[in-house]
Amino acid sequence: MKRFIFAITFIGFLFASDQIPAPRQAHPILLKDATIHTVSGPTLTKGEILFSDGKIIEIGQRIARLPDNTEIISLFGKHVYPGMIAANTVLGLVEVNAVRATRDFAEVGAVNPNVRAEVSYNPDSELIPVTRSNGVAIVLSVPQSGLISGTSAAMMLDGWTWEDATLKMPVGMHIRWPRMTVSHSPWIRKSPEEQKKERDQQLKELDEILDKARAYAQSIASENTPTQKMDLKWQSMVSVVNGELPVFIHANGVQQIEAAVEWTARQGLKLVLVGGRDAWMVADILKNNDIPVIIEATHKLPARRWADYDTPFKTPLKLYEAGVKFCISANGGSFQAPHQRNLPYEAATAAAYGLPKDEALKSVTLYPAEILGIADRVGSLEVGKDATLFICDGDPLEVMTQVEQLYIQGRKVDMSDRHKMLRDKYTEKYRQLGLIE
Amino acid sequence: MKNILLIFLISISVAQVNPVNALHDNTPRVFVLENGKIITKPGKVIDSGKIVIRNGIIEAVGKKVSVPADAYKIDISGKTVYPGFIESYWKRENNKPSSMDLGKEKKKNKSHPVTNHWNERVQPEYRLIDDFQPKEKELETLRSLGFTTAQIVPDKGIFRGRSSLIHLGNWGPESVIAENGPAQIMAFEQGSWRDKGYPNSLMGTIALIRQTFYDAQWNNNAWTFYNRNRDKTESPDLDRALETLSAVVKSNLPFCFETGQELAALRVQKIAEEFDLNFWLKGSGYEYRRLNEIKEMNTFVIVPLNYPKTPDVDSWEDALDFDLEQLRHWDQAPDNTARMVNAGIDIALTSSDLKDRKQFHINLLRSIERGLSKDDALAALTTIPAAKLGLSNLGKVDKGYIANLVITDGDYFQKDSKVTEVWIQGKQYVIKDEPVHDVSGKWDMTLSGGLNLNATLELTQKNNKFSGKLVVDSTEIKLKDVENETHRLAFTFPGKDLNLEGVVRLSGTLQNKFITGSGVAPDGSEIKWTAHWTNTIESKDANEKEESKKESPSELIPLFPEGAYGFAKPPSQTKKILVKNATIWTCGSEGILENTDMFIRNGILEKIGKNINVSGNDVYMIDASGKHITPGLIDAHNHSAAFAINEGTQSVTAEVRIYDVLNSDDIAIYRQLAGGLTVANILHGSANAIGGQNAVIKLRWGQTPEGILFKEAPQGIKFALGENVKQSNWGDDYTTRYPQTRMGVEQIIRDAFAAATDYAEALGLDGFEKKSNQGNLPVRKDLELDALVEIMQGKRLVHCHSYRQDEILMLTRIAEDYGFTIGTFQHVLEGYKVADRIAEHGAGASTFTDWWSYKFEVIDAIPYNGTIMNEVGVVTSFNSDSNELARRMNTEAAKAVKYGGASQEEALKFVTINPAKQLGIDQYVGSLEKGKNGDFVIWSDNPLSSYTQCEQTWIEGTQYFSKERDAEMRNRIADERNMLIQKILTSDDKDGGKPMKPNGDSNSYFYSCSEGGDQ
Repeated sequence: MKRFIFAITFIGFLFASDQIPAPRQAHPILLKDATIHTVSGPTLTKGEILFSDGKIIEIGQRIARLPDNTEIISLFGKHVYPGMIAANTVLGLVEVNAVRATRDFAEVGAVNPNVRAEVSYNPDSELIPVTRSNGVAIVLSVPQSGLISGTSAAMMLDGWTWEDATLKMPVGMHIRWPRMTVSHSPWIRKSPEEQKKERDQQLKELDEILDKARAYAQSIASENTPTQKMDLKWQSMVSVVNGELPVFIHANGVQQIEAAVEWTARQGLKLVLVGGRDAWMVADILKNNDIPVIIEATHKLPARRWADYDTPFKTPLKLYEAGVKFCISANGGSFQAPHQRNLPYEAATAAAYGLPKDEALKSVTLYPAEILGIADRVGSLEVGKDATLFICDGDPLEVMTQVEQLYIQGRKVDMSDRHKMLRDKYTEKYRQLGLIE
Repeated sequence: MKNILLIFLISISVAQVNPVNALHDNTPRVFVLENGKIITKPGKVIDSGKIVIRNGIIEAVGKKVSVPADAYKIDISGKTVYPGFIESYWKRENNKPSSMDLGKEKKKNKSHPVTNHWNERVQPEYRLIDDFQPKEKELETLRSLGFTTAQIVPDKGIFRGRSSLIHLGNWGPESVIAENGPAQIMAFEQGSWRDKGYPNSLMGTIALIRQTFYDAQWNNNAWTFYNRNRDKTESPDLDRALETLSAVVKSNLPFCFETGQELAALRVQKIAEEFDLNFWLKGSGYEYRRLNEIKEMNTFVIVPLNYPKTPDVDSWEDALDFDLEQLRHWDQAPDNTARMVNAGIDIALTSSDLKDRKQFHINLLRSIERGLSKDDALAALTTIPAAKLGLSNLGKVDKGYIANLVITDGDYFQKDSKVTEVWIQGKQYVIKDEPVHDVSGKWDMTLSGGLNLNATLELTQKNNKFSGKLVVDSTEIKLKDVENETHRLAFTFPGKDLNLEGVVRLSGTLQNKFITGSGVAPDGSEIKWTAHWTNTIESKDANEKEESKKESPSELIPLFPEGAYGFAKPPSQTKKILVKNATIWTCGSEGILENTDMFIRNGILEKIGKNINVSGNDVYMIDASGKHITPGLIDAHNHSAAFAINEGTQSVTAEVRIYDVLNSDDIAIYRQLAGGLTVANILHGSANAIGGQNAVIKLRWGQTPEGILFKEAPQGIKFALGENVKQSNWGDDYTTRYPQTRMGVEQIIRDAFAAATDYAEALGLDGFEKKSNQGNLPVRKDLELDALVEIMQGKRLVHCHSYRQDEILMLTRIAEDYGFTIGTFQHVLEGYKVADRIAEHGAGASTFTDWWSYKFEVIDAIPYNGTIMNEVGVVTSFNSDSNELARRMNTEAAKAVKYGGASQEEALKFVTINPAKQLGIDQYVGSLEKGKNGDFVIWSDNPLSSYTQCEQTWIEGTQYFSKERDAEMRNRIADERNMLIQKILTSDDKDGGKPMKPNGDSNSYFYSCSEGGDQ
């Protein structure tokens, strides 16, 4: 019936998910007889994990004392992992990228430090249940467009409202670094000279933005200028210029990365590099400056015709070997928002091409938590952290593994999604026709 | 040929029709050039001889030639005479802008003669000569390079029109040799992807060329028919283009095709074969890459000397953006001509394609240093083009030939030589006015009066400009404003070093080697001076410097394809291969076999089983213990390896063929091999309801476009439904093309099949009832309808891009109405909703595993789609539709396990035997069974595991990829890049005439559309 309503009045009902957000964890839960992959510590075969009120209380081979009314779930042959974290997405900010009315991730104008992702995160997006049912529990929702795109937020993939879903905001100020090299692509209409001019203007603009933001920060801090009026843009930059909020600079080309590193050092900002296609070429610079990298996708083509075919597969390995802090995200593009459930396979490919398997697992759990500044809450199974974890029947980096249950802050998440519902609906059709059993 | 000669004779005769303006000019036109070195033709030299020219014709040439009494003698001692050069391809803009040049608005108002071809790019009847107004400056530039004759060619369109032959003297009616020149000029031109006019892809261009040739034949037949049946039949439309074309083909006139890169030459050959055309190539400079193929065409190639500019690799970051292919081209391009000549290809040289034509001589000298012999170079400028272009009395210095000559101050094919004059039709054109007195050298000078001293004057000349210095004792004073006019020398110098405040001005009159002069000192007092010539100035250092910079041929040998991961020699078949102890996923009835052996002989799987033993040292053994082997993976929806994908300008483009635009050099092929893919269905895009014909390829990296074709695969075609066809997501500019709704899409397709049925019935084609065509013109062969008829005849598989259940259902109904079965529904993301209908109809389903929600018509896409359809009985495969995803189809297959619980064995079939069945190639590939092609992949682990790596990929017993060889190639690439970059850094900064834009982060071989698509 609900399907029917949707079909005739999609504007109003299209994006109302049929999954019901889970209630608060009502009683302690013990998962036992499972292999507990803590990620930060040892893996316990046939271990136990106890969580209550949304927090992990104890992890061990055998937990001696259980609180009253603990629900005990026995999971022979199963595995428990911390919920995965997709560190670069537009999830919640777009439904169908080709439908303009559903695009809420790119504000107009080049300078939008004041826009915040979390407020346009649609908790009823159909994309959310599909994503979380493969074990992705948390995403960073990132505004796109312009030079300064706005602030991102870490969102938990369950909740009635965006406020319920927000784990942390703001996480970073997102900057799209100007293209440093000239493109000769036939698709680009601007001449090389125009491109260079535009690039130089943008670089200058970045400096000017910082100057203005600093002037504003000084002005409001000073007792002598009580008449300073509110400026939303510069107000949102105060924590950036103060070095509290990191800048997440989206940069792929080696020249971009070098320039971004120089700029943030000169401006005294905290940098997280996003994209990082060529990061391995300047790994020592990143290492020496303690700059973490969110590697955007291993499932992509080498950037240059002559490059090794496995260059993107091996980028995580190279950063790992160089001692650079990194995590792996899937493609953060708006067309890829529906496909974030494939995050673990991005990491798996890195492992197939040399990254140790435990590092690959960390690169979608603990490492993104650390880089996004949410490792005190999520990213590994440790006492005191959120009980944001999932149960599956094997290695989640293997495609064939089934994720069976996800908990977010101890709340038992509805594992149904649009895909399973449509599967069930049409399986019923063929059952009615006698074509399947 | 006779025609040309005849016209020529008329054109140079003095008899003019024009009325005489003022007085009759009867200046004698008899000359003798004496004492010059004469190269009469390539390889034939007269060290010092005479040339007698009478009324524009060479009357005599030789060492000892008697000088006619009426001859005017010209001493050219120290000079060298060559036959006048022929510019074989002077491409020049029409003076009148064509409708193609005009902006959209103007275009609307442009009148298009009603009898012209409907497509403005088809104008074979056009002659550039009719609009030709060369500027004197252009002629001068060509003459300064030694060109005296040219073939002029139009520069716009596909069928561009007829070339003409002209002399390059002062422009006048006598300059024209032949208005109807030796060739019909062709080019693979198309609009940009933004253009709405047909064609906007290389595919469309080729289809238009083919259709037009057929139309020319038809036009001819139709008129013949009409002329016999005037009382019963209406007349065919007048079409000047088709009329001209038909005549051109009949006369066997060459079609000269412009090519933008070497694979274009191969495309030309296919067209020429189809229509039995005599053809030439206007080359690209890349011919060295497919030398054997071009040699085998046994044709004439007009080659540009457009060498790439030295790339900017000063920083390592900048160097990244230059592809190895580009660096290698920089090194090899100047060798192109020598390599062509050595291969035995007839070439002529052209200065076209150079931004600055003056670069021609510089580049020619580079080619000579790199091994093009001077005789071959001269032949490519004289005798060869003369013979090919039908200039039978040009190209040599010989009795009876037209007096077109090049005179140089040294060997034209060596540095620092210059053309001093050319003769065209017996008329002298001085290029470089030489001073009557060459004042360069050392002079002893005596000054008196206002300045009293002895000095040495040293003068040097460069490019007709003099500079010099005055040496007084050991003081050197630089001269300023040196002027050397006919009879006098003048200069100034500052008086400072002589303790004079101001400037000294001197001038004098030259008589042989003596100057008598006067001048003014800074204080105004008069100076008298004399000077006599004593010595030349040695410039020894310069010579040595020149010597050291001499270029040598590139040490690189061509790779197949050029650039990274190309093979020096394409891999060959291993005759006997024995694989031992593998886990073999047969994808056939035997399922997954452990500890199993496999024997492949001559590319065919001969045996599979336990403990196969084949002896002989010609058996190539592969120990596959611990490894998994699968059939080569097959992707039923792929868009790599093609220069064009969409001809989206019309709703039905069944005539265009991916086959025509295959790009065997696409790096995607290699990368996909490295992911275990061996077969790909290269499909036309989804921009229109009935798109173009697809091509199934085998990923035989290193072969030609013809070589990668899966020849046994049935023909197919792309259809498309839904949003793309309706242009739903293209923006507000695209709201008027029919169809804009799914209702219209259905009607477009029905209409196409109705038209095709009428056509087939009129022709009485196989499977159709012949209907009378009496009283009508002969039926015109229509490539578009041919393809549609083949669908109805069951000879052509339809692969239909589709999403929603309604449109899927709709197409099955149309197909059944017209008596055929859809081959595959592609994407078919709502196939799970009508799987019963698809199964009943008998179509296959080739789907994405888990893509959804990127556009509105895919909001109901689910990853269970594949397994549900499979279970209901539809042959289902997973496709990539992406160069990237096509590299890891094995883990895509694993999604059939994840979503829908297929067994692992069954899951792998989604990327092996199932797509093979869909493409009608399952008797050859898709499973490892006796008698099938030896196409297999060796995996490090379970092929469905995320952690597995493809280690080797074999096609028909030939190893096209192995990790081992890949590692070797990486080393070679690194070494070669380093070597080339060092060579670039230590070489002169050379312009070369053609900018080299960094390929940047483009994966494409040829950077711009224009090069990929030739235009």
